[in-house]
Amino acid sequence: MRSAGLAIGWEFRRRHLWVLIALAGYLLVLAAYKVLIPASWEPVTLDPPDGRVGVALVPLSTTFFYFLAVFSFGLTGDLAARQSIYPTRLFALPVTTRALAGWPMLYGAATMAGLWLGTALFARWPWGVHLPFIWPALLAVVFLAWTQALMWMPYGLPGLRVIVTVLWLATLDAVVLLAIHYQVREPLMVAFLAPQLPLAYLTACAAVGRARRGEVPDWRGMFARPASNAVMPRRRDHFPSPARAQAWFEWRRHGRSLPALVGLLLPFELALLWLAKDAPAFVFEILFLALITPPFMAAFTAWTVSQPNPQIRESYGVPPFIATRPLTSAELIAAKLKMAMWSTLAAWLLVLVAMPLALEWSGTWSVVTERVGRMSDAIGTPRAATVVLLILAGFIVATWKQLVQSLHIGLTGRAWIVKGSVLLTLTLLILLGPIVEWIIDSSNVQRALWHALPLILAGLVTLKMSAAAWIATRLDRSRLLGDRALVAGAACWVLAVLALYGVLVWFFSTPFVAHYLLALIAILAIPLARISAAPLALAWNRHR
Amino acid sequence: MSESVISVSELTRRFGATTALDSVSVSLPRGAVYGLVGANGAGKTTLIRHILGVLRAESGSVRVFGLDPVADPVAVLSRIGYLSEENDLPGWMRVDELIRYTSAFYPKWDDAYAEELRQGFALEPSARIRNLSKGQKARAGLLVALAHRPELLVLDEPSSGLDPIVRRDILGAVIRTIAHEGRTVLFSSHLLDEVEEVADHVTMISHGRVALSAPLEAIKSSHRSLAAAFIAHVGAAPSAAEA
Repeated sequence: MRSAGLAIGWEFRRRHLWVLIALAGYLLVLAAYKVLIPASWEPVTLDPPDGRVGVALVPLSTTFFYFLAVFSFGLTGDLAARQSIYPTRLFALPVTTRALAGWPMLYGAATMAGLWLGTALFARWPWGVHLPFIWPALLAVVFLAWTQALMWMPYGLPGLRVIVTVLWLATLDAVVLLAIHYQVREPLMVAFLAPQLPLAYLTACAAVGRARRGEVPDWRGMFARPASNAVMPRRRDHFPSPARAQAWFEWRRHGRSLPALVGLLLPFELALLWLAKDAPAFVFEILFLALITPPFMAAFTAWTVSQPNPQIRESYGVPPFIATRPLTSAELIAAKLKMAMWSTLAAWLLVLVAMPLALEWSGTWSVVTERVGRMSDAIGTPRAATVVLLILAGFIVATWKQLVQSLHIGLTGRAWIVKGSVLLTLTLLILLGPIVEWIIDSSNVQRALWHALPLILAGLVTLKMSAAAWIATRLDRSRLLGDRALVAGAACWVLAVLALYGVLVWFFSTPFVAHYLLALIAILAIPLARISAAPLALAWNRHR
Repeated sequence: MSESVISVSELTRRFGATTALDSVSVSLPRGAVYGLVGANGAGKTTLIRHILGVLRAESGSVRVFGLDPVADPVAVLSRIGYLSEENDLPGWMRVDELIRYTSAFYPKWDDAYAEELRQGFALEPSARIRNLSKGQKARAGLLVALAHRPELLVLDEPSSGLDPIVRRDILGAVIRTIAHEGRTVLFSSHLLDEVEEVADHVTMISHGRVALSAPLEAIKSSHRSLAAAFIAHVGAAPSAAEA
């Protein structure tokens, strides 16, 4: 290996070899399926969506984003930092800055183009829509090139990297979507995309050059409060308890990410209301988009919350600084749960303030009041108010749940569990589409499912309660939670289940839905087993 | 010298095929400065991690203040000051935030002592940890390890890679800590002269086994120096072993 370029390429290949093998295996399986099963030749439709779309889209889009992270060094860098995320260890290599920027861009470009070409050659179904061969590959390469250039750039403010990159890539995406909508011809798309590659390369060279020279602009002074400078040292009281101190730690480390992401996306989503004055259906689609933003973004931020050591991206162990806090593992988890609650409330406060303002200023408020009025007339004001409150509460609880439900996986600190869980989730996502389609297409299946619903729910409840009982026993035996805490936790859970059951019984006052079904649904809806397992997971990791 | 602060008995730990600790038994009496000496990879940090409860004893037992550090982390850790070899203080915190945060965990936190240490170490309250030099980070870590006046101070390779001035600060802190009656220091290092300067008792560890454990005076009376004793019992001075 006598070339710096070969060495850099070897490092990429060595570290991500298993992903490349898995991708190749997946493409071969898809190709074999297409060849061996003639039924798969039936066109796959996007509108309405065909269940098989997920089988092709989920792994390929996941791989696309994985490659974006790999070749921009996003897996190992601190995205929120002002400093470039380009690995500093490479700056000491005796190679030019152009080579440092160029080789990862070249390997990334080749891999992205290969991903699309492999997809097109081995796995593309006859979609029913014409998909061109060249420009999607070029788009993937341009997308990566800009990601690399913007990620490697040093910025004047923490977090600015994420904002600039998201806005720039979203703009690029919007232009491409418009081009698809207006069926722009392929040569024109190539003419639009191709010149961006040298521009991105020059930007990346400048970014790496600045990072290599240690040039990091600092604009924090413009936003700093007078009290936070060195002349006037900040005076703060002591934390009243270790639990409060740990909750503050978690909030500072993770709590602001979700409100920041929601605050970033919300203006763009709600701005669409100004375009939807004459289309009531579109108004509700925009509102739905705004409402699912917090739980959707929480799914992303949850990854950092459940990471025991976010300072070291590829480390799963608890850092000594946290492991040696004189707190029990249950108290460390309690701080995370509390932080998740505050983070959820902050994100929802933004939504609940911004949404009425945007409705009022865009002149679409009347569309909403008119629809709510009709619902109120149809089912009565108390029920209408309950529906609205239940939907809102459901979204808020879903956001919190998204933030904390993977703690029991991430905090185990075992790479095989974390990676296995990701693989399992992806597999389920892939299978979800075809299964849903199978159910929708077959009335026999729907009938069988409806008849088996009580059994299915009872089975799930048995599974959940068995897991919870086992976890409670382990918590008790390992003395992670005292008897009083266990009893109090169980009592709170029972109260929450009873409250939800009461609301459901009141709302579904119909003979067609049995009350025991509502009880089973209430038991399944209130989180128990996975959250209770989080202290066990942390203790397993903390005391290896 | 009364009861043992740390009592490790027949502790064995394996990581895959590697035996990191092999039937290690040590006992630390209260009020002593205990030097743990060995080359890199000898098992010093593994032993310290067991004492902190970060590693669970696979076989053998570990007791700190008579308690199991895994089963009762709060009771054990609240009496220990620990400076990690990794110095993994959160980079996003400011020095004053680190002090405020850490103070919440220790009922015996001494604000005046913390301020005295901060000034002595020339640490700016508003400075972010990530912007501190390696030596300043070590000083900040030492500050929060000392300011609650722990009964047991555990320093894991505290001066590794640091300049002589920071090493002097650390040794000074060890000396100040032992000045308080009844306090105990466990000090791991591969720098023999440093250990020789402050330790009452030395344990040499090599390939996961205790090669020698004796009071420093006894070692000095039987060998020319600590380095000579190390060569006699382990085979090569730690610095040579690293190379």
